[in-house]
Amino acid sequence: MARHNLEKQLSILDFALSSLWRHRMKSLSVLLVFAAVIFLLASFQMVTQALSDKAKQVLAHTPEITLQKMSAGRQESIPLAYGEQLAGIFGIRRVVPRIWGYYFDEVRLANYTVMGLEVNEMPEGGRLGATLAKGVMPGPADEAQGRVVVGQSIKKTMDLAGRTTFSLFRPDLSLKPFEISGEFSPDTDILTNDLIVMNVADARDLFGIPAGLVTDLCVYVANPKEIETIAKKISEALPSVRVLTRSQIQKTYQVVFGWRSGFGSICLLAALAAFVILAWDKASGLSPEERREIAILKVLGWETSDILAVRSRESVIVSGLACIVGMTAAYIHVVYFDAALFRPVLMGWSVLRPDLHLLPRLAAGDILLILAFTVIPYLAATVIPAWRSATVPADSALGG
Amino acid sequence: MFLNPWSLALTLCGLVVLLLGAVAGKTAVRVLRFWEPGSDSNQQIRLENEIWLSSTLVAYGLGFQIVTLILFVLAADEFCQVIVGAMCATGALLANPFGMPALLVKLFGVFFYGFWILLHQLDIRSEHYPLVRIKYLALLLLLPLLVLDVTLQTLYIAGIKPDIITSCCAVVFGENTGGSTNLIAGYSQQGLLLAFIGAIAGLLLAGWELLLRWRLWLAGLYAAGWLWFLVLSLVVITTVVSSYVYAMPYHKCPFCLLKPEYHYFGFGLYGALIPATFFGASAAIAGLVRGREGLGGVVDGYQRLAVKLSLVLLVVFSGLSFYHYLKYLISGGEG
Repeated sequence: MARHNLEKQLSILDFALSSLWRHRMKSLSVLLVFAAVIFLLASFQMVTQALSDKAKQVLAHTPEITLQKMSAGRQESIPLAYGEQLAGIFGIRRVVPRIWGYYFDEVRLANYTVMGLEVNEMPEGGRLGATLAKGVMPGPADEAQGRVVVGQSIKKTMDLAGRTTFSLFRPDLSLKPFEISGEFSPDTDILTNDLIVMNVADARDLFGIPAGLVTDLCVYVANPKEIETIAKKISEALPSVRVLTRSQIQKTYQVVFGWRSGFGSICLLAALAAFVILAWDKASGLSPEERREIAILKVLGWETSDILAVRSRESVIVSGLACIVGMTAAYIHVVYFDAALFRPVLMGWSVLRPDLHLLPRLAAGDILLILAFTVIPYLAATVIPAWRSATVPADSALGG
Repeated sequence: MFLNPWSLALTLCGLVVLLLGAVAGKTAVRVLRFWEPGSDSNQQIRLENEIWLSSTLVAYGLGFQIVTLILFVLAADEFCQVIVGAMCATGALLANPFGMPALLVKLFGVFFYGFWILLHQLDIRSEHYPLVRIKYLALLLLLPLLVLDVTLQTLYIAGIKPDIITSCCAVVFGENTGGSTNLIAGYSQQGLLLAFIGAIAGLLLAGWELLLRWRLWLAGLYAAGWLWFLVLSLVVITTVVSSYVYAMPYHKCPFCLLKPEYHYFGFGLYGALIPATFFGASAAIAGLVRGREGLGGVVDGYQRLAVKLSLVLLVVFSGLSFYHYLKYLISGGEG
């Protein structure tokens, strides 16, 4: 009995394959369009996945809590004195001031990110040296006056040709000279590409920020389980301050990436709908030969269920092949071409754009998601036409 | 939160299944009104063709529902990343009151669609189609379930607001916490395990008895036993088995088992438990229609097959669920 069943299934599969081959132009056209739809959706999914992974990796090293002063709903400089008010909260390892901002270079028409850090104060500050391709991080103000570390594309844009000095304008248009003491390695481009790092005093000088004020305060917490409690205590102690925890920032990134990817998927739904209509149409249009073929099969003793089985095997084979082709193409697109088609949509529009190498991680769940998005509508679109073709009466085609 | 690929995929699948259900429902109404087994009118021939359509549609619907069931749990796991305080799917599902009901309706839906397909398979084995009316009545009864399923799922997705505080599973299923968020507590591990082993032994014995000699009351007991065993197993998986799999005493979550970190172990576990319950319970349900014309032999054959399958799957399931436990007892933990 089992053997008989197996043989029957194999014969049905065999017939489905040969039937696909006999109508190869029709099958191939559906297959190609289907693969293209899967390619688009899968690329989108993979880019989102890889980007949110990257964001997670990056955020793992940010300070546990960031404090920003808010005034009239906008961020403004925070007094250093606020840091001292936190002294009474147990569990805070260190409070480190930071000045950062964007500098628009009018000569080269590019935006730089300028960061003033107290490298020696940061708990992991010593390890920052590992991100440099050469040189050292700028030390405290008295030793490292005017020393900066720059990212790869700053080096390129400034076209320094061997010189190590350059100048930037202060807000009052006086020039402030800098000397490059190191450069970031290309491996960290996603973060450091457009970055200039200097010490806090230089950054304050460059941006003309009054003494005693900084952009934000980074709070380092020793025990990760205490982050939420400490954040709550800080916001009670300093009501005008926005307290951002690392996990909050992480979740916000997730929402943004999810939102963008969902938005992309909605746009692609139009493509999916067009494909489903195509599949429906291709499956519905029965040529006289096909009607004849089914009528002959019925005369030979095939049942409606057998023909339905053949049709559903055909759909499954087409979907399987399209999935393999589409997902492989998507993987190649993301890994080797850095998702050239979708990068602008997912990443923002900055002028200095880092070279980004994305490595998607495909879990079974993501594959299932892509399948649910594409294969289920396809199967649903072909089932009613399949039934129509399976119920062609045996005499209709032969008699006439 | 609809603007997320997971929500969109779930909604899309829900709509597709509803569409298939509606087409099948149309056939059901026509069959119930116009079915005349003896007639050879055009109408009757058309209807005989249409029952193929509806059964194929329900079969597809079943397949799609199984996919959405898995997708739903994985989506909840994905959503937990955007909900503050939720650490895995449990937290995400409890983020609003529709999560758990949606999951349960989906789970039980899979059983009902399966029973319907069983009814259909039995029906077409007989030349007289003796079950047509029952089958289509059942199909019409399935439709509200389908609508409920999609509604709950939509309400759940609509209710997910990123950044609401929910309890994570360590709190929900933990032992030391009281309060209303504690879904499963108050059972002693030892007692649960004893009941679990007892239930496995009881089912094995009853199944063996049934294979030797078919008795109606025993078959009924066997089916009821399986339904009870399903609930018991879900509790045991959550409170006992899961933390041995994770090797973390306070992580008691029935969903993280499905993740790649644990080698997709949950798919094996649930993939054995759910079909086993289906076969165990369906043997008795098939017995209900044995009296119909031309079905006696078919039903007998199916019942023996179903009991055998449920026993094999039961052995697989108990092997899987005790694997980590025994490994821990024998080798003393990870590594």
